[in-house]
Amino acid sequence: MIRLVRAEFLKLRTTQVWFWLLLGTIAVGALLAVAVIAPSDGIRRPDQVPDLFSVFAVSPGYILVFVLGVLGVTTEFRYQTITPTVLQTPSRWAIVTAKMITYAVTGAIYAAFALLAAAAVGVPWLNAKDIPVHFGDSDVQHAIIGTFGVIALYGIIGLGVGALVRNQIVAVVVGIIFLLVLENILLAIPVVKHAWPYTPDGAKQAILFTHGDNSPVDGVHLLGTWAGVIVLLLWAFVPAIIGAAFSMNRDIT
Amino acid sequence: MTAVQEAAAPDGRIVVDRLSKRFGRKILAVDDLSFTVEPGSVTGFLGPNGAGKTTTLRMVLGLVHPTGGRATVDGVPYRRLNHPSRIVGAALESSSFHPARSARNHLRVMCTVDGLPLSRADDVLELVGLKDAAKRKVRGFSMGMRQRLSLAAALLGDPRVIVLDEPANGLDPEGIRWLRGLLRHLADQGRTVLVSSHQLNEVQEIADRVVILNRGRLVQQGSIEELTAGTDSVLIRTPDVEAMHRALTGQQVQVEQVDPGALRIRGLTPAEVGHLAFTGGVELHELSAQRFDLEDLFFALTAGDQS
Repeated sequence: MIRLVRAEFLKLRTTQVWFWLLLGTIAVGALLAVAVIAPSDGIRRPDQVPDLFSVFAVSPGYILVFVLGVLGVTTEFRYQTITPTVLQTPSRWAIVTAKMITYAVTGAIYAAFALLAAAAVGVPWLNAKDIPVHFGDSDVQHAIIGTFGVIALYGIIGLGVGALVRNQIVAVVVGIIFLLVLENILLAIPVVKHAWPYTPDGAKQAILFTHGDNSPVDGVHLLGTWAGVIVLLLWAFVPAIIGAAFSMNRDIT
Repeated sequence: MTAVQEAAAPDGRIVVDRLSKRFGRKILAVDDLSFTVEPGSVTGFLGPNGAGKTTTLRMVLGLVHPTGGRATVDGVPYRRLNHPSRIVGAALESSSFHPARSARNHLRVMCTVDGLPLSRADDVLELVGLKDAAKRKVRGFSMGMRQRLSLAAALLGDPRVIVLDEPANGLDPEGIRWLRGLLRHLADQGRTVLVSSHQLNEVQEIADRVVILNRGRLVQQGSIEELTAGTDSVLIRTPDVEAMHRALTGQQVQVEQVDPGALRIRGLTPAEVGHLAFTGGVELHELSAQRFDLEDLFFALTAGDQS
C-alpha cells in the first residue's frame, strides 16, 4: 500500500494540475480573508476571529480540492492510464484506497496553504484594527483543525464521486452543481430543507460552527460537531466504496 | 498433478478455455474460444478488425469480465496473480498515457508500484530506442514512439509472458524489423510471446505459431508449417495447356486451371514441373513457385463465412 500511495503522489506530481489548483487555493484563501474582514458586516469582534480561518472551508474554497479529487480518478479514465494502473494493481479496492489516502493528505496540504494565505492577509490586518488573533484560543484552533479535516474529506468526496462516475466532465459538472447549487436550493424548500444538515454542506457547517448566536440556518438546526463529522465521513466513504465495488470494476475497454 | 504443484511450478502458459463475451444483447464479440499459448515461441493472434482479438486479450488480462469460460496465466486468472506486471507484460492500445507526463515519469510511476528501482525506467527506454525522448511529454510523441513506450512499459517488470496488441501499428519498416528481432529474442529466452495483428503476412514472418480468429470464433491454430504444409504450388503459363496436361498424366498432382493460359500445380516441386515440361516438349512462358501464405489460408478458412 505504501508503494501504491507513493505512486499516486508521483502521478500527481508529474502533471501540472496540482500546481494550478494549489495556486487557485492560495489565491482563493487570500481573497476569502479579504471578504470576511473588509465588508461592514465583517469581523469586528474578537469572538469572530475564527471566521478568518474557517471561511475557506465554509465558502466554496473547498471546491478546488473536491475537483482535484475528482480528477484523481477521472483523468485515468480520460487518458486510459487506468489500463496500466489496473494491469499493475488488479484490486480496485487497493487502487481506490491508495487514492483516498493520497487525496486526503493532499487536501490537508492544500488546507494548510489556504490557512497560511488567510493568516498572511488577515492577521496583520486585524491587528491593525486592534482585534487580536490568539492561536491559543480554542475556537480558533477548532476552526483550523476543522478546516484541515473538512478539506481532507472533500478530497476523498471528490475521489469517490470520480470513482463512481468515471467520466471526467460529468463528474466535475454534476459534483459542482450538487455542492454549490442543489444544496442551497434544498434549504429553500419547506419540509425537505430538514434534510440539509445531512448534506455535505450541512455537515461541514456543523463541524466548523463555533460561535455567534445559535440561530438555525433558515430555520434548520445544525447537527452537533461530531455528528457532522460522521455525516461528512459517510459522504466521503460511501461513494468511494460503491465506486470501488461496482463502477471501477466494470469492463475497461 | 495436483493444483498445488501447478501453482508451485508456473509454466508461462496462457490458457484460454471456452471464453465468450457478449456486449449488450446482440453483439457476441467472442464465442466459445479456446486456445493455448506456449512459452519459448512467438504466437500470432490473427484476425480481421473486429474479430474479437482485443476483447480476448482484455479478458486474458482481467480488464474485461468474460460472459463465459475463463482465461489463465500460469494456471491462475490474471486478477489473482501476485505482482502481475512482473509475470505478464502487456501493451494494449498505444494511447494509455497522460499527455502532459514525460515518458520517463510514466515508467517511474510503474516502477514505484512494483517496487523496482527507478533506473529500470531508463533501462527499458534505452532498450526500445526512446532514450533521447525520455524527458519529453508524451503529447509530442508520434504513433511509433507511443508504440515503443507501450512496449517499454510491458517489458519493465522483466515478465515471462508478453502480450502485445497490434504492436506494429504506426511503426515504420525499420521499426517493424527491429520489433521482429526483439520478439524473436524474447521468445528465444524462453518467454511466452502473444502478438495480435490484422496484418496476416506481417505476422507470418515473426510468428512460430498462429491462432486465427474470425467473428469471435477460433478458425485454426497451430504452427505455421503445419497450417501451410502441402499447400505450396507451382504456377505455369503456356500457350498449349493441353500439352501440359498430357505431360502431367500419371503424376500424383492436383491441377487447377487459373486462366486460359495458366495452370496451378500442387504436389510437385518447380524443378519437377520444369523437367516434365521439357521432356514433354511444352513451351513455357512462366514457371514460378507459389508460397501459400497466411492471407490465402485465412481466406480459404473463412470462405463462405463472409456473407
